[in-house]
Amino acid sequence: MTLLGPDRPAPSRSGRPAGDPGDPAGSRPVVRVAAVGDIHLGEDCAGLLRPAFEALPDCADVLLLAGDLTRHGTVAEARVVAGEIASLGVPVVAVLGNHDHHSDEPEEVSRVLRDAGAHVLEGDSVVLPVAGHKVGVAGVKGFCGGFVGRSAGEFGEPEMKAFVRTTRRSAESLAGALGGLARHGCAARVALTHFSPVPDTLAGEPPEIHPFLGSYLLAEAIDAEGADLAVHGHAHLGTEHGMTAGGVRVRNVAQPVIDHAFALYRLPLDGGPGARTGPAGLVGRYGTH
Amino acid sequence: MTEHPEPYEDEYRVALLRERLAEDGHAELGVQVERRGNAVLLTGTVPTAVRRDEILGLARTVFPGFAVRAEVAVAGCDAPDHGEELS
Repeated sequence: MTLLGPDRPAPSRSGRPAGDPGDPAGSRPVVRVAAVGDIHLGEDCAGLLRPAFEALPDCADVLLLAGDLTRHGTVAEARVVAGEIASLGVPVVAVLGNHDHHSDEPEEVSRVLRDAGAHVLEGDSVVLPVAGHKVGVAGVKGFCGGFVGRSAGEFGEPEMKAFVRTTRRSAESLAGALGGLARHGCAARVALTHFSPVPDTLAGEPPEIHPFLGSYLLAEAIDAEGADLAVHGHAHLGTEHGMTAGGVRVRNVAQPVIDHAFALYRLPLDGGPGARTGPAGLVGRYGTH
Repeated sequence: MTEHPEPYEDEYRVALLRERLAEDGHAELGVQVERRGNAVLLTGTVPTAVRRDEILGLARTVFPGFAVRAEVAVAGCDAPDHGEELS
């Protein structure tokens, strides 16, 4: 867990330019989350998103990057991403995606993004100070395997067992990171993944490929430990809105889905009706809370 | 890319095009390919217009003699003008 400080003052409620979702909740404290995934930047894409990202300090408290930031996962492409996100004036929290692994150098890609100031998560978390509250983001890339009733099992050939075990371990590390944020007293917690935790946000994708787009194990981890929002990418033909079985809102922020440089969400920080700061009390893989 | 064998049947050209779209040079896994009569239809969203032109060029190479129809959009890069309240 990385703690960022010092705290910043409550964001101004007036005079925000484009992207401000307004303040219908009055003076209620909120965290303004900007998020995008699947930007797939190649070496020829420098400057593509930077103009929009430069508006972020006026409309968001954090930018989440939900993986597939590069086209082939090369260091040269990671440097292009770094140029888009460096010194934006808001914290940047990222997970990698499958494209970012394609050149077999995810550590180097992560290093380039970290050098640009991003918090690159894989089974860990970061705590951000927002308006006097703590906002936690737990992140993993995640992996695939499918959804309840139509999922791969950890059985049979070593290759099959390794495939499913990869997802299970990823989900377990997400649960551990979310649990750590709860114990740290975060007012809002966000689960950030590349692969999808639910099938809802895959609507529009061919059903036959759903098992390659995500896994229910990620949703089970999120429901077991609790979160206020789950953000993912990967499903270009999917839809933005979904929900886990435990009631956690899920948003697919793949750029082809949101059709903007980022999407904006406002989460309450005062334990309002949508807040889920504690675990769901599920009995199962993660025990009883 | 001459190392690719010619498909036995035109039906397999759909799989061949998707395979080549996923390869190193393109890495476009989000573009869908369908046969529609004597034409091939490409759908999806890509980051730039240059990327879209590359994909259409590849499709014409894999499907010689077929009409290539494209509904490939370029992803929006503007900041949003509104957000969602999750109260």
